[in-house]
Amino acid sequence: MLELDRLSRRYGDVVALDDLSFTVRPGQMYGFVGTNGAGKTTAMRIVLGVLEPDSGEVRWNGTPLDQAIRREFGYMPEERGLYPKMQVHEHLVYLARLHGVSGITAAKAASELLEALALSERASDRIESLSLGNQQRVQLAAALVHDPTVMVLDEPFSGLDPMGVDSMAAVLRARVDAGAAVVFSSHQLELVERLCDAVGIIRAGRLVADGTVDELRGTAAHRYRLEVGAPPGWTASLAAAVPGLSLVEDGDHTALVELPPSADDQTLLDAARALGPVRQFTPVRPTLAELFRSVVAEPAASPDGSEKAEAA
Amino acid sequence: MSRAVSFREAATLVAKREFGQRIRERSFFISLLITLGIIAVVVLLPRFSDFGSDSYDVALVGDSSSLEEAVSRQASIADDEVSVRLVPDVAEAEQAVRDGDIDAYVDGDTVVVDQSLDESLRAVLENAYSQVEGARALESAGIDPAEVTAALTSATLQTVTLDPDADEREARGAIAFFGTIVLFGQLITYSMWVAMGVVEEKSSRVVEVILATIPARALLAGKIIGIGLLGLVQLALIGGLGLVLASALGAVELSGPMIMPVVTALAWFVLGFAAYASLSAAAAARISRQEDLQNVTTPVNTLMMVSYFGAFYVFINQDSPVAGVLSIVPPFSALIMPLRMARGDAAGWEVGLAVGLMLALIAVLVVLGARVYEGAVLRMGAKVSLKDAWAARRRVSS
Repeated sequence: MLELDRLSRRYGDVVALDDLSFTVRPGQMYGFVGTNGAGKTTAMRIVLGVLEPDSGEVRWNGTPLDQAIRREFGYMPEERGLYPKMQVHEHLVYLARLHGVSGITAAKAASELLEALALSERASDRIESLSLGNQQRVQLAAALVHDPTVMVLDEPFSGLDPMGVDSMAAVLRARVDAGAAVVFSSHQLELVERLCDAVGIIRAGRLVADGTVDELRGTAAHRYRLEVGAPPGWTASLAAAVPGLSLVEDGDHTALVELPPSADDQTLLDAARALGPVRQFTPVRPTLAELFRSVVAEPAASPDGSEKAEAA
Repeated sequence: MSRAVSFREAATLVAKREFGQRIRERSFFISLLITLGIIAVVVLLPRFSDFGSDSYDVALVGDSSSLEEAVSRQASIADDEVSVRLVPDVAEAEQAVRDGDIDAYVDGDTVVVDQSLDESLRAVLENAYSQVEGARALESAGIDPAEVTAALTSATLQTVTLDPDADEREARGAIAFFGTIVLFGQLITYSMWVAMGVVEEKSSRVVEVILATIPARALLAGKIIGIGLLGLVQLALIGGLGLVLASALGAVELSGPMIMPVVTALAWFVLGFAAYASLSAAAAARISRQEDLQNVTTPVNTLMMVSYFGAFYVFINQDSPVAGVLSIVPPFSALIMPLRMARGDAAGWEVGLAVGLMLALIAVLVVLGARVYEGAVLRMGAKVSLKDAWAARRRVSS
C-alpha cells in the first residue's frame, strides 16, 4: 500500500504541507479533496518525486519510494503536459517505453486505452489538433499506458463533459478492480462520493478527515428531520429536553435538528413524542459536500473526532 | 511487461524521439535545401564573373594584320579571350571605345581606352606590339622575317612550381572557410533547437510527466544527443552534396584531400555542439516561456558570433599569432581550427592541444549545465537565477 508519512513542505513562509499522512490500499480509489491551495498538488508532486518534501517520506509496501518503484506509478499532473506536435498513439507508446514497457506491448496498450476512451479515430492526429477535453483523455491514457500499480491523478475530471467523466471513471474503476491503487484530487464532490472507496479531506496542509464516506458521516454530527403535531414553539421545548441538540431549520411543524455524534437518537425520538404525535422522523445523511463544508469551516485546531486516521 | 530502464536506455529513447520527430519536420528539409542552394551559388558565382574579366574586344586601326596575328598568339599564351577586328577609321574606333563596344583600340604606338587598361590585356597588347616592332626592326636589318617570327614565338618560359600543392591547399582552405560558415549556421541553429526543446517541455509542462519517469540528466543527455545527431546528419548531407555539386560544376576535384576538410568539420561540429548545447540547455531551463528565450541565450549566441568573426579574421590573417591562439582556445577552436587544419597550417600538437582543451571544456560544461538544468527545469514561472538553480535540487515551487 501507498503510505504518505508525515509529509511537510513549505515555500518560504507559506506552509504547503504540515505533517500530512494517509494511506491508499491496492484495490482502493481514494478521493483527495480540499480547498484550492490546501496542498493537494504539492502532496501529489512529492509522491511522484517531482518535488522533495522538507521532512517525511512516502512508502510503497513499506519501502521508501525511489525511481525504480515510481516506474510502476502513473501520474497525471494538474498542469496538463504532452508534446503538442506528437501523434496521440506514438506519444503514448513513447511514455510507456520510458517506463520500460516493450514496444509491442506499449503499442497494444495504447490502442486499447484509446479504444476505451473513445479516441481510436484520433490515434494518428497530433495532440495539438485535439479539443481540450480529448487532450485530457489522452493525458489520462498517458498516466495509464504502462499499466501502473499506483495512479496519482491531479484533477483528472475537471473540464470533462458527463460522457467524458463516465468513460474515464469506467477506465479507472476497471484498474482499481484489477488491484491498482488510485488516488485522485477533485472539487467535484458528488463524483468523489460516487466513485471513491475512501476520501481524505485536506485543509491548510493537514489532513482533517480520512475514511470511507460512511465513516466520515459517522464522525460528523447526525441530522434528523422531524414533523411533530404540536403547537408552534415545540422546537424550543425539544431543544431544552435534549442536551446538545441544535436547530438547523425551524418550521411550524417540521424541523431539521442536529445531534452530536455521541448522542442517542432514541432519546430525541422519546422527547419528540412527549411533545405530540411524531409524523416524521428521518435521519438525514449528509452528502460529502456537506461534510466537506463542515470540516473545512471548523477552526484549524479543532480537536474533534474528524482526525480519525484509519481507512478501515 | 515493464522492466527497469537504465540511464542509457532512457537517454536513447529520448534521443530517438528528438531525432525522429524533428527529421519529419518540413523545416529540416527547407534549411537543407537553402544551404545547398547557397553552396551552388557560391560555387557558380566565380565562373560567371570569369567570363566577364577575361574576354576583351580590341580594334586595330589601319592595316595591321601582323599585329592582329601577334595579339591572337599572345592572347592564347596568356589564356585570355581577345577578339580583334580591323577598323580603318580612328574616329570610328574612338566612338566604339566610348560606347563601350570595345575595350581598347591600338593606333600605331598608342593604346586608347575609355578609363583604364586591364593589366592582362595590357600584357597581351604590349607583348604583341613589341614582337611586331622587334620583327620589323630585325627585318629592316636584313634578317628573314620568317626566321624572326619563328625565333620569337618559340621563346617561351618553362614554369617550374616549387609548391605544387598550393592550388589544392587554397581550394581546401576555401572549402574549409565555406565549411566554417555552414558549421556556424549548424551550431547556432541546433543549439537553438536544444534551447527551444527545453522550453517547449517546460511551457507544455510535459517535463513533469517525463521527469516523474526518468532522471533529468537522461532527458538532457537524450535531447542533446538526438538533436546533435540530426545536426550531424544534416551537416554530412550538406558536405557530401556540396562536394558533389561543386565537382559536378567543375569547381573542385573530388579527392581525399578535398573530402578531409568536410570530415574535419563534422568532427568539430560534434565537439562544438556538445559545448554550446550544454550551455543553451542550461540557459533555457531557467525560463518557462519561448518569449524569454532570446534573453537567456544571448550570451551563448554572442560567444558563437565572436568565434565566427574570429574565423573571418583567421582566414584573412592566417599567419598571425592570434590565429594560432584562437584555433587552440575553446570554444573558439570549434570554428577556427577546422579552417587552419584544412589549409595544413596547424601542427599536430596544436590540433591535439585544441581537441584536448575542447574536451576538457565540454566535460566542465556538461557537469555545470546538467546541474543548472536539473535545478531549474521543474521550476515554473519567473526566470530562475543561476544561483538558485545551482543550489536547488528539485526544490520546486507549485
